[in-house]
Amino acid sequence: MFEVRELAFRYPQNDENTLRGLSFSIKEGEIFGLLGPSGVGKTTTQKVMVKILTDYGGQIIYRGEDLRSYGRDFYQDVGIGFEMPVHFSKLSAEENLAFFRNLYRKTADTDELMRRLGLYQDKDKKVAEFSKGMKIRLNFVRALLNSPKVLFLDEPTMGLDPKNARIIKGMIKEFRDDGGTVLLTTHLMNDVDELCDRVAFMAEGKIAEIDTPKNLKLQHGLRRVDVEYEKNGEVKAESFDLDGLGEDEAFLDIVKNTRIITIHSKETTLDDIFIKVTGVETL
Amino acid sequence: MRNFPALLAGELQRMVKYSIFAAGLVVALLWIGVLHFTDIEDVSGLFVLLLFVDATTMSILYAGVTVFFEKQEGSLKSLLVCPISRLEHVSSKVCGNVVVNLQTVVLLYLYAWYFKEISLSFWALAAAVALVAFFHALVGLVLTYYSETFTDLLMNMMKYAFLLMLPVLLDEIGVIQNALVQNLLYAIPTRASMTILTASGGGIDAPEVWLFAGYLIVGSAGLLWLVLKKFDKFAAKESGV
Repeated sequence: MFEVRELAFRYPQNDENTLRGLSFSIKEGEIFGLLGPSGVGKTTTQKVMVKILTDYGGQIIYRGEDLRSYGRDFYQDVGIGFEMPVHFSKLSAEENLAFFRNLYRKTADTDELMRRLGLYQDKDKKVAEFSKGMKIRLNFVRALLNSPKVLFLDEPTMGLDPKNARIIKGMIKEFRDDGGTVLLTTHLMNDVDELCDRVAFMAEGKIAEIDTPKNLKLQHGLRRVDVEYEKNGEVKAESFDLDGLGEDEAFLDIVKNTRIITIHSKETTLDDIFIKVTGVETL
Repeated sequence: MRNFPALLAGELQRMVKYSIFAAGLVVALLWIGVLHFTDIEDVSGLFVLLLFVDATTMSILYAGVTVFFEKQEGSLKSLLVCPISRLEHVSSKVCGNVVVNLQTVVLLYLYAWYFKEISLSFWALAAAVALVAFFHALVGLVLTYYSETFTDLLMNMMKYAFLLMLPVLLDEIGVIQNALVQNLLYAIPTRASMTILTASGGGIDAPEVWLFAGYLIVGSAGLLWLVLKKFDKFAAKESGV
């Protein structure tokens, strides 16, 4: 759906490029995570891909055509969920949504979206009276308002309680299952693990790693199994190679003749990969 | 311009909710107070001066205020990713501002018509105010694009008022007598604004009125071109560039 080739961008006030030859593709119907430390260029990449920033180098192909060739109708099929509140604070939630609904050819049932996100009973309240979490949920409704085919989401669950974060994650998965494509930018590795079909780690304005979360974990983890077991009243621990585990007599003996306390494969976490690839601690 | 009606309706709704109409009403009441406490029975001359100030400075201010609200709340970002053109966005904003100025014309005219004497054509006055306010709302957008903060905008507006409005007002009340200065004033848009407002009372040749109206129309087209040209840069800057 998107083919990003050698994308480069420099902010006017900077001496160096923020994006330095970024290349990746996003397939139709997948949730693609763009990860990296603050300032690495994730949001810049997103702004270029949604045509807010236009003075870029390289090329972006969207549905087979150069993104530059698309006019304002590009936004008919695109939903954008901003990290910060983007609503008219002196208008109610419903007034905000009604205003934006009038600008699109096709629209979603925003009452239903608000019901699912627990905002319906407050729809006539001014946005200024909303809590931070409510504003974030309203941002998400705004992003889905035009029944988009592509969703760009920047930290969609940041600042939400676990219950509402779960609802939003469920809705993102549903969107994908219905054929939608998502570009997700977040620092929350749990969200990435739970949602993304593929992830790209950015470092120094480029893509440092790109794969499925599972493959990345396998690639960066150790192919070993740690077993903690109890034998003759004593707790012992041993580590085995994952390859040929079924023929490893020592391992099989432990499995058959001892009480196993814990058993773990040594695949790594996305947090660890993030730190390793980008050199920055996660939240 | 498919989205223009929806954008204009939204603009007017926000002008109500953000009390811009109310502010316009307060200013109109202030002008009514000026008309009320003057001893002159035929207020036509004063009426034109008040509308001149309203359609110029207040238009600049209203346009700036609406953009600063959108900047402050981040709603500009949301508008940037809508299927609307820059022309639709800018023209709805400018036309929304013109409506506030027309509100003032209606209120002042009603007062003058009931309680004083007025020899100005309402429709000619409304048309002149619409054109002057349209031009100055665009001036307001240009000044806003060059202003980092609202205080900067106020300062820029004051500079505009001192340089381009005050001389015309002084000329209108007879303070400026020098013919060369008077002729030079014909080059500035505020002189054209004053002339077409005054023309609503008659006494000015039609070709002169059309010349100045044409000046403001061509000027508006030029300003609109500049605003649209600057819009992308301004929008990108407001989105964090």
